[in-house]
Amino acid sequence: MAASRGIGQFYPVASPLHALDPRAKILATAILVVGVFLIDSMAGFLVISGAIAALVVVGHIPTRTFLRLLRPVLFIVALTVFFQVLFSREGATLFEWGFVEVHSGGLRLGFLLALRILLLVSAAGLLTATTAPVALADGIEDLLSPLKKARFPAHEVAMMMTIALRFIPTLGEEAEKIQKAQAARGANFSEGGLVHRVRALVPVLVPLTIGAFRRADELAEAMESRGYRGGEGRTRYRELRFRYRDALALIVTVMILAAGVLA
Amino acid sequence: MRLELRDVHHVYSPGTPFEVVALRGVTLSVEPGEVLSIVGGTGSGKSTLVQHMNLLLVPASGQVLVDGEDARTLKKSELRRRVGLVFQFPEAALFAPTVQEDVAFAPHRIGLGDEEVRTRVRQSLAAVGAGHLAERSPFALSGGEKRRVAIAGVLAMGPEVLVLDEPTAGLDPATRQDLLGLVRGLREAGISVVFVTHDLDEVAEVADRVCLMEGGVARAVGTPAEVFYANLENAPATVQIVAGLKAAYPGVGEPVRFEETTAALRELLEG
Ligand SMILES: Nc1ncnc2c1ncn2[C@@H]1O[C@H](COP(=O)(O)OP(=O)(O)OP(=O)(O)O)[C@@H](O)[C@H]1O
Ligand SMILES: [Mg+2]
Repeated sequence: MAASRGIGQFYPVASPLHALDPRAKILATAILVVGVFLIDSMAGFLVISGAIAALVVVGHIPTRTFLRLLRPVLFIVALTVFFQVLFSREGATLFEWGFVEVHSGGLRLGFLLALRILLLVSAAGLLTATTAPVALADGIEDLLSPLKKARFPAHEVAMMMTIALRFIPTLGEEAEKIQKAQAARGANFSEGGLVHRVRALVPVLVPLTIGAFRRADELAEAMESRGYRGGEGRTRYRELRFRYRDALALIVTVMILAAGVLA
Repeated sequence: MRLELRDVHHVYSPGTPFEVVALRGVTLSVEPGEVLSIVGGTGSGKSTLVQHMNLLLVPASGQVLVDGEDARTLKKSELRRRVGLVFQFPEAALFAPTVQEDVAFAPHRIGLGDEEVRTRVRQSLAAVGAGHLAERSPFALSGGEKRRVAIAGVLAMGPEVLVLDEPTAGLDPATRQDLLGLVRGLREAGISVVFVTHDLDEVAEVADRVCLMEGGVARAVGTPAEVFYANLENAPATVQIVAGLKAAYPGVGEPVRFEETTAALRELLEG
């Protein structure tokens, strides 16, 4: 289980953010994402960063846990900043060494880009940390349902998402179990060169794949034997309810966005 | 070899909302050449406990000792060879195209030569009564056949202690008997066996000692008679029957095995 922790992990505690309607949270995240692209000033970024930091607190997510979510993207951030700084020729030259030139404009652009990526990931991480996967899929289905008129299979897409999300932890646990069983037979996953390590994965991936297909078969049979026939006329076990507080959350988000753009 | 766990604690996912304290200070030894049974309800920590025996899980606090030495000072590969661990539902980890290749995985990994590996594969498949399956695909076998092959895959390393986590779960009576026979055979060959099971009748038949787990602690450790007569709710039918008669017939003694019990009862009836 430890291995599966990271971006997209739900953090199951009770908080005002957890209690919001998933549709409100998805829309609010979308608004924040748009905001991150519209904003171009340092003050604006401060506003959005401050808002996200506040939301992390409201969502009862420990700061360290939240920062861990960001760790996997740090490498990508570093890489983009690196290229941005090296290849941008805007502004005054700060530093020159052979063909390498660092300009003030490039530095600024690189910094803003890094902030943008981190804020995007933070917003998405906040959504998944405070919304149970199934609620997330329900919310997406609901938001996409107007597209059903245009023959878009909103229910099927949401069902596929729900199932995929539901089985990610299961697969993770299964992988860990198989890995341990092979380690008990002398398999070694942490030593040797790249080729060796990739080869060491075969005894894990083969049973894992076989297990996944078996599980898919069983699930399909279970669904059929309970009369599942797609989304037409299906009622929901969990009804989504859009309350005042959800509307309020959206209004606050729009205000934050406005503050960020105007700042 | 002698394995010893000293005050072992284990916590899954520490410091997260998923935190589970699975072991709360277990002290237990596996003596050379004995069959030690571990019993207890689901979630009592049996699987967690046995995974500490080859350090697949590392204790949060406490120690694992091999012949008196801290197991962490041994090479991991060496420890895993000497303490063979067969997981609960081990057939989920079969992966090779044929049974013999699958069983050969472990002996190859510990660096044995081809000739030696072939011998080991043949011997361990024979030991579990699966010699005739060598050329088959492990995925086309029955559940019981898969289980036998998976056990052979660990046996092929030539462990000094073999740990079996619920090896008989979901098997038919004949295959169960075969596996119990295997346990007895290993014991005769001087190999210690740790045997996790929910079937108390099996424990009565093969165990030298029993460890009863409850809520992450070893509630009782001792001979089957000691543990079962002191914990009747976790005792096999033989013990429960005799315990029911004991108040009226104190002379019946404390038999545990089926044979002992029928002998004691016959004596009562005829005496
Ligand atoms: N990988 C894991 N992550 C988190 N918690 C776990 C994990 N494995 C086991 N646990 C928890 O630890 C406790 C002990 O589990 P364990 O598997 O050791 O029990 P067990 O005695 O083997 O049960 P069973 O008889 O059902 O096999 C349980 O509460 C279980 O939920
Ligand atoms: Mg278990």
